[in-house]
Amino acid sequence: MASAKRKRSDDDAEDATPRKLRARPPQDDTFGEQEADEIQTPSRRKRGQQAAEIGTPRSILKKTGLANGINGTTPKSHRKLVFETPTKSVERATPNGTPTIVRNADRSARRKSNRRLIERTMNGAESDEEALDEEEELAERILSDEDGEQDDTQAAAEEDVPAPETPSKRGRGRPKGSGKKGRPPKQRSPTPPQELPPHEEYFWQNRPGGTKTSNNTLPPQILLNHDEYFQAMQTYQDRHESEMKFLLELHSRAYDQWIFELEEGFNLCLYGYGSKRPITEQFTAHLYRHLVNQKPYKGTKKTPKVVVINGYATGTTLKDILTIVASAVVPTSIKLPNQLNSLLAFILEYLSENPPSHPIPIVLNSIDSPYLRKSPVPAMLATLAAHPSVNLICTADTPNFPLLWDVGLKSQYKFLFHDATTFAPYDAEIDVVETVNELLGRSGRRIGGRDGVGFVLRSLPENARKLFRILVTDQLALLFMDEGGQDEEDSARTPSSKYARTKNTISDSTQGIEYGMLYRKAMEALVCTSEMGFRTLLKEFHDHQMIESTKDAMGTERLWAPFRQEELEGLAEDLSGDAL
Amino acid sequence: MEREHQRCYIYAPPATEERPLKRQRTSKFNPQAQLPERLSTFRHIWSQQEERIKATLEEADSSTQERIVNFVAASAQSTGESQGAIPTGLIVAGPSIASHGPFFERLGRRIRDRTSCTYVVLTSGESLNLKTFLKNVIKKVTSRVDDDDDDDLGRTPASSRKGPKLLDFDLGHVQEWQKKNRVESIVVVIQDSEAFDTGILVEIVNLFHSWLDRLPFILLFGIATSAESFEDRLSGHSLRYLEGQKFDVTQSDEIIEKLFRVTVAMTDIPLWIGPNLSRRMLDRQRDHVQNVQDFVDGLKYAYMSHFYASYPTIILKEDLAFKDLPSDAFEAVRNLPSFRVWIEELLDQRRASDVRQLLDDDQYLFEGIVEYVEECRKALSTLSQAARALACIRESLQMSPHVHLSTIWTRAASGELLATPLLRETMLSIKKTPSNKLVQLLVSMMDSDGEAFPIDITAFQRELADLIKDNASSAPLRSQDDVRSDSLRTTVVAQKVLLSKHKAALSEQDKAYSDLIGRFHDGLEAYFSSAFMDPRTLFLSEIVMHDLKSPHTEVFQPKPRFAIERALACPHDYLGCDCCSGQQNEDSALSTTQPATAILYQLYLESGAFINAADLWSAFNAVVGNEEKEEEEESKTMALFQRALAELKYLGLVKPTRKKTDHVAKMMWKGL
Repeated sequence: MASAKRKRSDDDAEDATPRKLRARPPQDDTFGEQEADEIQTPSRRKRGQQAAEIGTPRSILKKTGLANGINGTTPKSHRKLVFETPTKSVERATPNGTPTIVRNADRSARRKSNRRLIERTMNGAESDEEALDEEEELAERILSDEDGEQDDTQAAAEEDVPAPETPSKRGRGRPKGSGKKGRPPKQRSPTPPQELPPHEEYFWQNRPGGTKTSNNTLPPQILLNHDEYFQAMQTYQDRHESEMKFLLELHSRAYDQWIFELEEGFNLCLYGYGSKRPITEQFTAHLYRHLVNQKPYKGTKKTPKVVVINGYATGTTLKDILTIVASAVVPTSIKLPNQLNSLLAFILEYLSENPPSHPIPIVLNSIDSPYLRKSPVPAMLATLAAHPSVNLICTADTPNFPLLWDVGLKSQYKFLFHDATTFAPYDAEIDVVETVNELLGRSGRRIGGRDGVGFVLRSLPENARKLFRILVTDQLALLFMDEGGQDEEDSARTPSSKYARTKNTISDSTQGIEYGMLYRKAMEALVCTSEMGFRTLLKEFHDHQMIESTKDAMGTERLWAPFRQEELEGLAEDLSGDAL
Repeated sequence: MEREHQRCYIYAPPATEERPLKRQRTSKFNPQAQLPERLSTFRHIWSQQEERIKATLEEADSSTQERIVNFVAASAQSTGESQGAIPTGLIVAGPSIASHGPFFERLGRRIRDRTSCTYVVLTSGESLNLKTFLKNVIKKVTSRVDDDDDDDLGRTPASSRKGPKLLDFDLGHVQEWQKKNRVESIVVVIQDSEAFDTGILVEIVNLFHSWLDRLPFILLFGIATSAESFEDRLSGHSLRYLEGQKFDVTQSDEIIEKLFRVTVAMTDIPLWIGPNLSRRMLDRQRDHVQNVQDFVDGLKYAYMSHFYASYPTIILKEDLAFKDLPSDAFEAVRNLPSFRVWIEELLDQRRASDVRQLLDDDQYLFEGIVEYVEECRKALSTLSQAARALACIRESLQMSPHVHLSTIWTRAASGELLATPLLRETMLSIKKTPSNKLVQLLVSMMDSDGEAFPIDITAFQRELADLIKDNASSAPLRSQDDVRSDSLRTTVVAQKVLLSKHKAALSEQDKAYSDLIGRFHDGLEAYFSSAFMDPRTLFLSEIVMHDLKSPHTEVFQPKPRFAIERALACPHDYLGCDCCSGQQNEDSALSTTQPATAILYQLYLESGAFINAADLWSAFNAVVGNEEKEEEEESKTMALFQRALAELKYLGLVKPTRKKTDHVAKMMWKGL
């Protein structure tokens, strides 16, 4: 609602320093063209959009309508049209300082939208589409209620035109190259209301209906495989290389300070976006040089031992860490205990009894890697780090890493945190191709897709092939059921889509074949005679990463072959045609 | 390069690289020039503080620990006789779980020193069920004396000799060990009793009880809530097996208050922490951590950054001599804001020649520095003393809103105490104090600050003692301001009620007492008003008082999520490049030039809970890709897209979903 207050805050935004403005836009545009936007009455849009001009009265609708009657389609018009309509009124019904007429108009609009909302809630959750239609209709009606002007409805209608049923980024039609031509990519996206309390913001960002996405899929061959990826990356030159170097140089100025902090018994934790390996690498070298010039080493052949651990490397265990630390601490002649707990105790005891001339530096890249997150590891690392003769320098990549440690652990770690944003690519930390395949459920590509599976299956006994065929066909059957549901949903704009939707959600959670079911089917097909045999067959598949399994919410194990539909179809064909 | 995929290794410098150190550059100004001197000053000053802290901590919970040790010793003696129940100590250690670990560690040391008991601490993390709990108990008890390897070798044959082999969670191992070692008792500490499953606790109690005739167990429970709630969790049946005694541990906020008293609100320290910083630290303690060690660390870091980063801190060196200081130091001092304030003051007093000399003559400035460091310290120490006196007065008068010394001190140091109701109220209630309370007040003030106090307390004490001696009645002497000596009189005159206040007639002694308390009050008032000045107006106050929040907050309360979100949402903030400031064209915050992950992240922000990867790709391609569709160009864009997507996954922003093909689920929402 365009109360005086609201206006003032807009003024403020305008008056802000350019720097602030610069920093702001991304925040404004946090939320995109999603279904829920549709649910909003158009009036809601662009609330708080700073780019819009200041102090336009609430009847801006009229104005923009006139001003943009001719080229109503330009983004500009939408922004204005959309801005400063009775936004807050829906949530905070506090009309103050607005002219009466405007307020009344507001009120009627609000009343209607409220009534609509209540009705809808009473009738139970309807499908998104319906909500969408309703809202659009409502929006139109409000608009025409308010000024009854043709061009407004037109504007509202125009707004819908580029937003087809699938309002994803693409659907909204950001034409190719539009980002360059200065057509703002987000001008259609209403900015979320600003300065909401955190919990409200959560609900805003998670509002229902926001999950509507298109059914587009990536063409099967578009994702690069390892070779293609590396080839493409080899020729790629980051345009920010010099800036990244500069960032690194900035961080490197703090190395001496860090050494001082380590000497005073603190441990270091570096966080921020970008791989921090370049920093730890440099710092390790720096620390090494620093130590070499210190007392016990200066002028001698002895060298300090700096332990480096790459927590992100696959399968890093606490055992590896403790062993390498022990090798740096304890002379090789002493036999080390085998058990983790006793090994740790042994190291600590040894350090207490034979304190080294300087604390042993341990550089740990990615302390929050999945391999080091599980229960005993953080606690034991903390115990190790708490020892005065150990200096831990670690990096953390994820944004929420402090949640790994409770107050007790945190006080043991005795961390000083430094922002070490580098923007460097996580080359070593991530296997890009693999991660993306997994993310998009294409881990089947790992063994070379259909051909690879065929190759493996050929080397397996007949029964294994039969079992795999059962799995694949069942999975396909499930997929077809899903498909049916989805098609129905897409075609149906009637309440029946509600049914489709629920059905769809059910099948969502039941992807894959239940273990028991598959076993029964295998028994019926005389593939195996005992669970033992069944397991053996499955193990072979697991080893070749041809199937994956998970436990669903009920705790039942589910199995599936990690392939996409086309590949599954191909596989089924191969298997039934006995081409294998 | 090979190394980056290695799990762990010992660093070895590249063999060829023997280049000279980078830092031998020949720049004219080296900010680190006097660093070693400053750091040694830091170490000197900090070691004094550390002493104080250590003494305070030792003293803080020593009495409780003493009682627990005595309890253990007593129970160890008596275990032979009464087999009815396990002696149990319920140690109510308060909600700050971070301090539990160190507490039990100190306790363990004490118990081992003073008695011949073994002492093992068990936490919930290592005791998921009874079996692992027992395994851990056995491991810890038996390896306490035996060497680790021996224990592996020695145990197995021993058990095989005697018939059936014992399972590794059989307390029989402990029994065997007990036969060899003959300890008085086995103290088992359950550090975080709340985190234990009730079932396990009950089983532990029952099992230990059944072994009590063979193994002398003593149980100690660490309790964060209350002994009652602990009791509620156990059934009456198992409670009967316990013979408990409750111990209250000093809570961490009290300890921190004590620490603050000796380290910050202290009279004779060379360096103070400023009001803003100390308020920040105290708030953090109260709201977030509640951890003594953390407070100490914060204090230490403040000292560290003070000396590390600020060049003029060199003048805090003890026995400072003119020749110790390079001219840079004087330059640095001349650049202090407080120097400017001082100069302006001098100019106002029309002492231009002094100003000129201060600006030109290092020697002259040096004398000024020496004088003012002293003066600043004096001011701060008077302020601390006054704050302590005020806290002491309020405490002994038992004034109702209990205000901690830390609060009083921080307010005093920010120069805002003089005008507050807090001070006014205190002064008023001093006026009304009857003699019996005044005696206590004087005694406690004497105890806390003693002779250093500018008001001669002993004189007052003597005078007061004389007055009391003369007082025949048993009632304490009252001052004229005491409300109780007022009485209200109602008179009805011409049908109107008149209310009038009357001072009750004061006896001679009361008058003398009023006079005495009046003098005491005036003396205090004058003292407070001189002491509670704003120390930040003094020259060199920023050297003697460290009050910068800058490195402190970031280092102790990082906002990693915010940092990452910011880096991705507005990379320009970090990169500072010309290309993606987004300023020239306000509308397109999403510019082609931004790093791929940043672009993808901003697209990500626009979407709902599920994201269609295909659409994401086309949007990304539209922003990044080249218009003329070359094959190579597109695969490069795809590579960038894949990398960016993988990074989002790595950062935990997206996860796979199987709800729809080619969709990913959004995991984090910005700015929440």
